[in-house]
Amino acid sequence: MADLGRAALLLTLGLCLYACIVGTVAAVTRKRRLAMSARNALIASFGSTLVATTILVAGFVRNDYSLVYVAETSSRSLGGIYKVSALWGGQEGSLLLWLLILTGYAALAVWLNRNRTRDLVVWVTPVLGGIAVFFSFLLVAVASPFVTQVAPLDGSGLNPSLQNPYMMSHPPFLYLGYVGLAVPFAFAMGALLSGRTDERWIVATRRWTLIAWTALGIGQLLGSHWAYLEVGWGGFYAWDPVENAALMPFLAATAFLHSVMIQEKRGMLKVWNMVLVSLAFCLSIFGTFLTRSGVVNSIHSFAQSSIGAWFLAFIVIAVVFSTVTIVWRLPLLRSTTKLESLISREAVFLYNNLLLVALCLTILWGVAWPILSEAVRGDSVVVGRPYFDFFLRIFGLPLLLLMGVGPLIAWRRASLRGLGATFFWPISIAIGTGVVLLILGAGSSIPGLIAYTFSAFVLAAIGLEFVRGTRARRALSSESWPVAFGSLVGRNRRRYGGYIVHVAIVLFAIGVAGASAYDSVVEGRLAKGEALTVSGYTVRYVGLSERQTDHATEVRAKLAVSKDGKNLGGLEAGKNSYKIAGLEPQVSSEVGVRTDYLTGEDLFVIPETIYDDGSMYFRIFVKPLVNLLWLSGLVFLLGSIIALWPDARVQRRLAVRYEEASSPVRGR
Amino acid sequence: MFLLYTSIAGGGTPSVKPSELAAQEGPVSLVGQVVGRPTGDANAEGLRFRLHDVKDPSSPTVLVVYKGSVPDLFASGRDLVVEGELRNGTFVATPGTMVTKCPSKYTAIKPSDQ
Repeated sequence: MADLGRAALLLTLGLCLYACIVGTVAAVTRKRRLAMSARNALIASFGSTLVATTILVAGFVRNDYSLVYVAETSSRSLGGIYKVSALWGGQEGSLLLWLLILTGYAALAVWLNRNRTRDLVVWVTPVLGGIAVFFSFLLVAVASPFVTQVAPLDGSGLNPSLQNPYMMSHPPFLYLGYVGLAVPFAFAMGALLSGRTDERWIVATRRWTLIAWTALGIGQLLGSHWAYLEVGWGGFYAWDPVENAALMPFLAATAFLHSVMIQEKRGMLKVWNMVLVSLAFCLSIFGTFLTRSGVVNSIHSFAQSSIGAWFLAFIVIAVVFSTVTIVWRLPLLRSTTKLESLISREAVFLYNNLLLVALCLTILWGVAWPILSEAVRGDSVVVGRPYFDFFLRIFGLPLLLLMGVGPLIAWRRASLRGLGATFFWPISIAIGTGVVLLILGAGSSIPGLIAYTFSAFVLAAIGLEFVRGTRARRALSSESWPVAFGSLVGRNRRRYGGYIVHVAIVLFAIGVAGASAYDSVVEGRLAKGEALTVSGYTVRYVGLSERQTDHATEVRAKLAVSKDGKNLGGLEAGKNSYKIAGLEPQVSSEVGVRTDYLTGEDLFVIPETIYDDGSMYFRIFVKPLVNLLWLSGLVFLLGSIIALWPDARVQRRLAVRYEEASSPVRGR
Repeated sequence: MFLLYTSIAGGGTPSVKPSELAAQEGPVSLVGQVVGRPTGDANAEGLRFRLHDVKDPSSPTVLVVYKGSVPDLFASGRDLVVEGELRNGTFVATPGTMVTKCPSKYTAIKPSDQ
């Protein structure tokens, strides 16, 4: 079976090489049949990668420990579904998942666009093929998941912390996001290489970018929630390099999503968009490099890791390739219009872009500086939370404010007098909120107060937009309020979907500010029957139970929770002990969380220590507003889906535009 | 940019390694690797363990006393971050500030590490 797996990967490498080389020849010589052949090879590479992946998954399911990778990341006692997720529990499998998603995306992208933007797609094939060559080469020559050994009796098992439902969702979503950014990048390069630099590449990839971006956002939130539930991972976000690895491409992609609108509407920022899409792609590779090479631990473990140098080389190639291509095509990327005023919607988009990119680059610097310093001076420095928190405030708070300004300000040129009228209500509401909060005592944290005031401003501005739009529709068609609202959103999905995403970001900001500033905690050792009280909650330790599952011993404390004398039912918290033959048992704490869905507050019980006499040491938190973070994830998803939902009218309009753009007489 | 930051935000907690600790005054965020066997109870008199620089076994170690939540991944050989202050040669940690990192990143170094 391992031979078959190796053969499948070798075939993938061959197909991708073919797609890359023959695709380039076909595009240069404009040979249509050759280009089709290259395209088909790229599509076929998905099939062979799928075969390889299936063989590896089968190895996990059959406990085939003659495969080194399976033996290292799985064990006989590992629960059924986690045997599948162990696929991405280590380096080689993660790379295979990358390649699988990449070839899948690539196959779909070139297939869906086979009859449109043909002159552009002939160049997309070799670019995507080239990226896939890198990953399949790694899997064939450097980090093969199909290395065999004399099978040991049992595998060494998946780290217990990874035996968590989030292991099923968080990594795949992140990969869907990371890898998805390759598609807009390939189309951008395709546009440059073919010289077709009109905005068709943007239109063709808008949905791809949105899907990748949404997956990246959701993947990060899932990871946040996971870290929130694990003891000692530093809460929902700790500015860990591995976390930053996902945040950076997300920020670059966010900037890109905004700036392409300017190019579509006003024909500006063409070079900038190319730079952004390249940046987002290179950061996604850099992110994979960070998480997979061990470079964040130390430059020394990087030297030991087999894939680090290859990744570094690939990043250099990607950066040089995109830079050279963009510079070569600069004459084609001239703006058709100029910025008319610094007070206009396009100017606000520009500020938003600068802030997002600045935030992204300062994070990049914070991640790269320790690595560079160690490599150059041999002296490692640590860039910690204060650095990142500082820049998050410096760039994040203005970004929040702009989210409220952007939707209300006019394109091209806004008059100051008009602005006064437009912003009267949002500003009043924001100031009102600020004053009320100050009276309530929120002034203890100045950045928090600013964040809340800005949030009120943004929510008011977005609310105003919805009210205005609905009113206008009612005036037009005399529909009822709900119907008018529905058709308003339905007819402008991209715009109002975007506003809903903005609401999600605001909820997130409120949640972050609230959760970190205002929580309360109590701790103590309890014998059975004793209780702890915090913020009106009383938590009584009722008793201890023990369950034996196939792969772990689960000890649980039964807790009775009440608030202000009212019984709120039971809660469990405890520890799982995973036994693996020949190793010390690995323990994982399972916190007890009770969510108040009305106030968004969490009662969070950490079972610190179980003593021999049956008493337990508990640490109990009350975290207000923290559930806004997770709610924001749902709102974010809703907004993205609305923005993504296919719209027949827009499709027809696009079809006409494709016609015009493909006809010999081009013009805008 | 980094210079700009260090000049503006000098008030933040600096992050240091055990080998740099002696030269620092006031509260810092200490990043290191656990060596030897930890003793004591983090819920009572305090958990006691030694840290040296990450991936540098020859570097000087420092004794840390810590009270509060102990991450599941806390063990000899693990990297962690903890806030606190050096007092009379012992690093007295701020309760509840110990953080270990996502275990997936340990996979790349496992063979040489254990």
